[in-house]
Amino acid sequence: MGIFFEQLVNGLTVGSFYALVALGYSMVYGVMKLINFAHGDLFTLGSYLGYTLLVWGASWITTTAGVWAGMAIAMAFAFAGIGVAGILVEKVAYRPVYPAGRLPLVVSALGMAIFLQNGIMAVWGPRFQVYPSHLVPTASFELFGLPITFLKAFILVLSLVVMGVIYYLVEKTTFGAAVRASALDRETATLLGIDIRRVIFFVFALGPALGGMAGVMNGMYYRSIQFNMGWNYGLKAFTATILGGIGNIPGAMIGGLLLGIMETMFAGYVPGGGAWKDGFTFLVLILVLILRPTGLVGEKVAEKV
Amino acid sequence: MGKSISILVTCCMLVVLMMSGAWADEGPIVIGLQAPITGDFAIEGQMARQCVETAAELINQDGGVNGRLIEIVVADDASNPRDSALAAQRLISDDVMAAIASYGSSVTEPAADLYDRFGTISVAYGATAVQLTMDKERPYFFRTCGRDDSQGEFFAKFAVETMGWERIAIMHDNQTFGRGVAEETRKYLEPYIEEGRAEIVFYDVITPREQDYSAAITTLRETAPDVWYYTAYYPEAGLLVRQGREAGITIPFVGSNAVPNDDFVRIAGIEYAAGTLMTQEPMPQDFDTPKSQVFLDAYREKYGDIPSSPWPVYAADALFALAQAIENTGSTDADILAAEMRTMENAEGVTGQILFTERGDRRDIPYAMYTYTEEGTLELYTP
Repeated sequence: MGIFFEQLVNGLTVGSFYALVALGYSMVYGVMKLINFAHGDLFTLGSYLGYTLLVWGASWITTTAGVWAGMAIAMAFAFAGIGVAGILVEKVAYRPVYPAGRLPLVVSALGMAIFLQNGIMAVWGPRFQVYPSHLVPTASFELFGLPITFLKAFILVLSLVVMGVIYYLVEKTTFGAAVRASALDRETATLLGIDIRRVIFFVFALGPALGGMAGVMNGMYYRSIQFNMGWNYGLKAFTATILGGIGNIPGAMIGGLLLGIMETMFAGYVPGGGAWKDGFTFLVLILVLILRPTGLVGEKVAEKV
Repeated sequence: MGKSISILVTCCMLVVLMMSGAWADEGPIVIGLQAPITGDFAIEGQMARQCVETAAELINQDGGVNGRLIEIVVADDASNPRDSALAAQRLISDDVMAAIASYGSSVTEPAADLYDRFGTISVAYGATAVQLTMDKERPYFFRTCGRDDSQGEFFAKFAVETMGWERIAIMHDNQTFGRGVAEETRKYLEPYIEEGRAEIVFYDVITPREQDYSAAITTLRETAPDVWYYTAYYPEAGLLVRQGREAGITIPFVGSNAVPNDDFVRIAGIEYAAGTLMTQEPMPQDFDTPKSQVFLDAYREKYGDIPSSPWPVYAADALFALAQAIENTGSTDADILAAEMRTMENAEGVTGQILFTERGDRRDIPYAMYTYTEEGTLELYTP
């Protein structure tokens, strides 16, 4: 039982990362109907921005601010930086090709992903970068006899809070109504006086910003980061999004957590399961798509945000 | 008149032929060395050249091979496959008796094909990919270095006989290299398992390029192994060591020779990397063979220090093996020499006795157990 609980916590931790990345993915898809392949690499970029800030401010963090403050600042910095980067990506790579239809848009997104990945490699180099260990909070508490670091708990709580905030923003506010309206029918929404550019601006700032923040959390938790790690996360987040129902915000959260738990349980409990972990995960995805094409919590296609 | 001239010419030609034949028998034995003298691995190539030249000098000081001196011709492959083919062609057209070639498996492969096609013996000194000897028949190809999977044999023996570890956990990444070493380890553990001296309690795969291995680590910990052997590369090894120690695994971690490097230490963190073990090719200074002392002294006298990498001394051993084969047979014919190299048992090298298998691999390859110190440097592990 203790082991099962430990594996569950392991799975929830991985799942929280998937969920955080998936939230941004899902939001962009909901409004733009665009699979933002560059999302994973914006996540990586966030991780590198946080790393750079931490290394620059290392002495200030250790002497005055403390590791938690350092982490908060790094996260805020990455959040803001990647928010801006997201807007730039939209301006440079997506806006010029909107009229050309969806396929050129997807190709453009792929190109952006490759550009970002190579750009990160050019700036920070192809080697692994490692978050300095004295800048990472290491305190832990015990839960049912299992030591859990505050960092781990923080990651899980943060992803839940982020989900809640976004859900509230989109579902309960006037601006959220505008976002949902734009997702439903962009032209009609424009006719009714909704400033579609503001909606796009909001979506492309917030979605990637969440990814950037997740990137810092990722660096804090796993320490080592590399320029091409975003691809894997992008793929997993994409899977999580589809699993939960693409464009659906609680769906992305549930999909991410579920994906993490499934992977962990399969690798942990099936003998020789490590080799088949990903195969099993995608098998489940296919089954979900056959039985519930809109995802686990997805609704009718028209209502997605 | 015309007849006598033609006889004279024939006689002259005969004399020239005899003289050239006599020259070929009495003159130096020309051995080619193909190595990355320039390029990314220039340091490896230059140390290999220094090693081969030192070895040639030692042989020549003792009167050469059957009274003939050894002469070395160097060709630079710049550590890329295209230049490698050019270098091989140059050595072949220089009519070398055999070639020592080269460092890096992908660089060695095209050259090995060429040498083989032209019936020239080639001996690789730093090419460990399994496919070089297992993919297709290359009757003239040998190597003095080990094969990627041969450290599995070493680990099995070391774990059971030296350390007395009984419950063994093996983890790999399902890629060619990692799986090769893991399967080889399992194969060589079989006899111990039958004797009841060992047991494989965990044998599983992780997916490379991920960041969270906690599921596999928790499962591994619950099987209560005595040792944990990870047979693949450093990025995952670094994460595994860190996450394993944080999950409370205190047993020895052993990595393959693709693990030890600075990035492994950075990713795992020095506090966790210290004390981890590595199955690795021994460094030159750690060889305890009759020849190593003489060789390293001569090398140090000439170049000031001993080679800083494990590989160059295998180039010297390639020359020692070739010289021994020539001495045994008294021949420089490639077919006779190739047959001799497969069976000879009296070749002594810096890295120990040099025995080749039917496919040209080195038998009983020397490996050693290394450990990371608190300062993050590698040193020989003494149990």
